[in-house]
Amino acid sequence: MTVKDHSSADDQALVRAAQRGDMAAFEELVARHRDKLYARAYSMMHNEEEAIDLSQEAWVKGWQRLRQFQGESSFGTWMTRIVINLCLDQLRKHKRQRTESIEAMDEESGGVERQMPVVMVNPTAGLERGELRQRIDRALGQLSYEHRTVLVLHEFEEMEYKEIAKTMGCSIGTVMSRLFYARRKLAVLLADLKKQDSV
Amino acid sequence: MDHDEQLKLQAFLDGELPEGEAREAAEWVARDREAAAMLEELRHTREALAGFETGTQLPESREFFWSKVQREIQRRETPAPEPARAPLFTVLRRFLVPASALALVFAATVMVIRPAGPLGGTAGTEIETALSDSGAFTYRDYSAGTTLVWLTYPADNEDAESDEIGTLE
Repeated sequence: MTVKDHSSADDQALVRAAQRGDMAAFEELVARHRDKLYARAYSMMHNEEEAIDLSQEAWVKGWQRLRQFQGESSFGTWMTRIVINLCLDQLRKHKRQRTESIEAMDEESGGVERQMPVVMVNPTAGLERGELRQRIDRALGQLSYEHRTVLVLHEFEEMEYKEIAKTMGCSIGTVMSRLFYARRKLAVLLADLKKQDSV
Repeated sequence: MDHDEQLKLQAFLDGELPEGEAREAAEWVARDREAAAMLEELRHTREALAGFETGTQLPESREFFWSKVQREIQRRETPAPEPARAPLFTVLRRFLVPASALALVFAATVMVIRPAGPLGGTAGTEIETALSDSGAFTYRDYSAGTTLVWLTYPADNEDAESDEIGTLE
């Protein structure tokens, strides 16, 4: 397969070629999906450097496990799951390193945010795409790892509660609670940003 | 609204409720303003997140990123070099040191427990070795009137290597 063939070939053909050891085919796959993998790693880690390292590691693992890929899902989905698992491992390491505070325990159960009044106005209405992205980025950065992960897996990876619980090793109830808390906290943070903007 | 109701509302938004419960939830939202407002807030948040990842780009060029991935793949595929073999003396020393220590302990034990007697042996016994033939030892027990000659084999001296059969004196 030539370079020209690679750029015009579909993912399935590239995967088959890469499974036979064609590294140029794998390079084309990396080029096609690298942004998506990085974006997922960044959403979960909220750290550019870690996201680059983890997405790189995901590609290395992808190459090593390529023979295991049977095509039940798309190649992009398969690779995304690899990077998610790497991010989860990394987040577990972070969690072990930091001490559990009372604040974190309160956050786990929903804390005061659960009782906060409903944000009546859409806090992101009328924002340009770039501005919206920036604000969500800031708000996501203020969530704990656990809450951000649940949100990412549900909203971006479109996983069901059951699947998230299995992936994160917790109960469905915990997933629901964390997701609810994360959404409420995000709504409040976005509303605050809107207020700051209007002052 | 209690926490269970809040979670039920969220499950309704996410399409996680069974058909019957989803119908009940829809009726509840229709008649309860607080529930409707909460549902609206959750929906806004969900909509705000949609498309967040779209347009995110890896802040490294295709060539640079691929070079890192490729280098790492090749590094892991290259078998690690075997550790340098230890020289023969080092290997032997590993066995000789404990063996020597054991021999020393044994010798010391023999020296301590052996009662003093003529020629350093047990009372009434004698051990001889001929300097010219270190492969032969003679053991005499005067009390029992016994003489025992102990020849090592294979011998490492000229006499022992000869074809002549040795005799007891």
